[in-house]
Amino acid sequence: MKFQRDVYIAGVGETKFGKHDVEYDVLGRAAALQALRQSNIHRPDIVQSAYVGNGTNGIVTGQTVLKDLGMCGHMPIINVESACSAGGMAVYMAIRDVSTGFTDVSIGIGCENHTLHMQSGTAFAPAMSDIETMHGAVMTGKYAMRAKRYMYETGATIEDLAMITVKNRRHATNNPFAWFKGEISVDKVVNSRVVASPLTLQQCCGIADGAGAVVVCSAEMVKKLGIDKPIRVAGAVVQSGPFHNRPRDITGDDITESSAEQLYAESGIGPEDVNIVELHDAFTIAELLYYECLGLCPKGEGLKFLRDGNATHGGKCVVSPRGGMLSYGHPIGASGAAQIAANVKQMRNQCPGYQVEPAPRVAMSHVTGGGLSGTEHAACTMHMLVSDW
Amino acid sequence: MADKETAKADITFFSPELVGDPESSSPYLKGYRCKNCGQLDFPKLSPCPNCWGEEFEVVKLSTHGKLYSFSDIYIGQAGMATPYIFGYIDLPENLRIFAQLEGEPGSFQCDEDVVLTIGEVRKNKDGLPINSYKFKKPTDKNHKFKVWHSVSE
Ligand SMILES: [Zn+2]
Repeated sequence: MKFQRDVYIAGVGETKFGKHDVEYDVLGRAAALQALRQSNIHRPDIVQSAYVGNGTNGIVTGQTVLKDLGMCGHMPIINVESACSAGGMAVYMAIRDVSTGFTDVSIGIGCENHTLHMQSGTAFAPAMSDIETMHGAVMTGKYAMRAKRYMYETGATIEDLAMITVKNRRHATNNPFAWFKGEISVDKVVNSRVVASPLTLQQCCGIADGAGAVVVCSAEMVKKLGIDKPIRVAGAVVQSGPFHNRPRDITGDDITESSAEQLYAESGIGPEDVNIVELHDAFTIAELLYYECLGLCPKGEGLKFLRDGNATHGGKCVVSPRGGMLSYGHPIGASGAAQIAANVKQMRNQCPGYQVEPAPRVAMSHVTGGGLSGTEHAACTMHMLVSDW
Repeated sequence: MADKETAKADITFFSPELVGDPESSSPYLKGYRCKNCGQLDFPKLSPCPNCWGEEFEVVKLSTHGKLYSFSDIYIGQAGMATPYIFGYIDLPENLRIFAQLEGEPGSFQCDEDVVLTIGEVRKNKDGLPINSYKFKKPTDKNHKFKVWHSVSE
């Protein structure tokens, strides 16, 4: 989007990800309150608009989250759904409100509880009215086809893919908000249960519950609220996935490539300047492909980028420093907002035990959303953050 | 009244708009060519997403295609028996079809030739099979896929 004025992140919040026995609204409220308090907001009538991302938990989810904070009645609360992109999109909308001058302070929240709502041992699928779904499509299988083709074309092995899980779990080792973390061997990843060949269980993000929240505001409000480490939003992009029913290269990802291109152009920041990235590593293969799609390395060099250690601490760009979705799990409505929260904490040097050194100055996030026949993804949301202080 | 009951009954065949002669020995997929701009689509998209034309000519699509990629599914949709296999099949008409594959898990590879068949893709609410288009390895090895190489990407 074209910004009409500067927008800053004042505060963020996230819950621990994993299995929760409390509903999405409790999780969302916890993350929101954390973000609000961190923004020095201690009253329910300061925020001027709220966007709440949720994929599957019902209707009027945003009002349900914010009612018990006394915020209903003070502002428009708008519910945002785009499967896995919902949380990122909610933050995007909050940014847009401030950027246009519609508000001076807005909040974007993402929250989801799958545990209390989903039949276990089944996989996510788009709506049954979709022709591919009718024929048995599941998201795992669609990524598996990308992996199969990538391996066929490049000679990459399943052990190569497994290194992504190993890396991201290692990044998350000391992250109290992550779910699966610590050392795991390539062997263990490869030999876990096959979900959709060639993807095994440990190459797929867990179906988790959680929430993230982001408070954004104008430059003037940064001063009024007394925010000492404001993070500037240098760019924010939402795109919808182009439709194809013709042969295409699925080892690329059209919507990610065009979203990244737009984000780089609008923010004036190139991939070589990005210090950390949280991307949509719902499956190992996705992270590998996205190194190339995001321009972190040239086309065809994703594996080399990984093997050379460029995606971890000390490399060119630390990818998934919080541990990514492979460590957090993926509550679909929450992840996009939680990625942004994690990036802000890294930039503010608030990640003891998993802090990227030196503290990143430029952080990017990327979250796609939704299967829809003929698209790689129904949506893609990206954000570029910088610290100027 | 009878119509109403038919409409309510769970389908056992996905849709006649997709497959021609489904019960015969030579079923085919129905492509739809827009009479206004000439774009060929499968499945039918109406109006035409290119020009919003609403008149179409039905085109018999090739029954042979090339398997672009695939996966053996071990954790599938709720209610579907596993394992099952699905893949993308590229037809010479420059169309990509998402379909289930009939055959053994572990037996397929990228870029191999496959042919159209009709078979069960899932069960309906009453536990009856829902049939639709699928692809499988060609049984007649001599039936060579002639037009394939003329296809551009
Ligand atoms: Zn047309």
